[in-house]
Parts: sequence; C-alpha cells; structure tokens
Amino acid sequence: MRAGLSQVELSQRSGKDRAQIARWERDVVQPSLETLRELLHACGFDLEMTLVPYETDTRHDARVQKALERTPQERLRAMLKARGR
Amino acid sequence: MADVFDPIAILQALERQRVTYIVIGALGRVIHGSDELTDGIDIVPSTREENLRRLGLALDDLNARRPNGKALVLERDLNAQPMLELETDGGELKIVAEPAGTRGYDDLRRRAAREPLGHGLRPPIASVDDHARMLAALDREQDREPLITIRRLIELEHQLHRGLSIER
Repeated sequence: MRAGLSQVELSQRSGKDRAQIARWERDVVQPSLETLRELLHACGFDLEMTLVPYETDTRHDARVQKALERTPQERLRAMLKARGR
Repeated sequence: MADVFDPIAILQALERQRVTYIVIGALGRVIHGSDELTDGIDIVPSTREENLRRLGLALDDLNARRPNGKALVLERDLNAQPMLELETDGGELKIVAEPAGTRGYDDLRRRAAREPLGHGLRPPIASVDDHARMLAALDREQDREPLITIRRLIELEHQLHRGLSIER
C-alpha cells in the first residue's frame, strides 16, 4: 500500500504468485511472519518487532464482547441513546 | 455534542439519490462494535462524475452548507481540501475523498460490507481492518482508545472465524 505497488508489481518483485498476493489482501489466508518480511523487503520496508507488555483489560473486553453480541442496528441505536443522555 | 444527529436521515438521503459511498469514521466503528459516541457521519464517495452529481442532489435534499457560510461547490471543494465538513439538517456530514492510509473509495469498496441499520437501510461500511488502517495512519492521540478497541474487535472476529489459517 505505502509502496504504491500493484499486485502484479509486488509479484514480480517478491517472486510470489499474484493470485496468492490477492488471497492475502482479501484476508482469505494470512502470510507467515517470514513471508510477510519477504514481501515488505520487496516493497523497500522492514518490520521492526519490539517486545512490549501486554495487559488484558477485562472490563474493556467485556464491553467489546457485549457490543459484538448486538446487531449493527442495535449498536447504532445504543450509541444514539447514550448520546442523548 | 451537537443538538441534531440523525444518521438515518442522512443515509436515506444518500440512498434516495443512489449515491455510491462507504461509511467510515466513528459511526462506522460504532456499527462494528466500538463504544464511542459521535455527532456526525463520515463518508467516502466514489469520485466518478455521475456519482458526485448524485451526491450534490442528496446534499441539496439535506440542506447541506459549509460551516463558514461560503457557497458549496462539491467537486471544487473536494479537490481543494482532504475533508469537506458540512452541516446538514440531519447533523454533521464529513466527505473524505481519500482517507489517510487508503486510496479512497475503490480501495475501501473491496472489503466493505452492507450492514442492516433498520428503516430498510443497508449502507456499505468500511471493514474493521480498514478502520484500523485509517486510524493507524492518522496517528493521533485522540484515536488511541478507538484503535485499541478496533484491534480487539479484529482479534475477536478472527477468533470467531476459525477457518482463517496461517500459512507455513
């Protein structure tokens, strides 16, 4: 995306099959970390990985989980109701 | 918060004029499950000439005006600024031709999905992944919380769709 390459161009640069690149883009499957780095290198980028603390926020998770149980219509209605308070 | 916000009225006006667009921003994130509050609706229209004509008709129906009182000339204004902020009878409406981190309508269209919102409306909403992409590209302090929520939504959605596989 940031490199401004088409699937064909990325395919030529990385040596990966264009159809496979399309599947990655559509999120049908995900590339392995190793493949992702190869793709990024072909685009002139690299992936810097840093270890950071990961804390789960159980209250936040509960809110997200609750929202996911609602339909899109219910989520919109709930927001409008909360906004009116 | 602004007094009036009627997203249904805005979306109905767009649908009536058969405008091609995608909902993004806080309202899009709310529809995906984010617990934000918002005063307005952000859309990415197709910038094809006929679509901009239809969008202009919908904006007329909504009595859209620029907050600074200047006359609205849709195509010129959209070219001149990255985001066109309008006041309408249904509340705030932002029109963005090319949101941060994306290539605009044609880029977002591929992963957008129509979501039922009642009143016979099923507007196309940008995917949750694209919402994360846009927030990350904006890189604003105010978007930190929504981005955490959106990323958690992505994780939970991926857990639900167990068919998704990691390649070796």
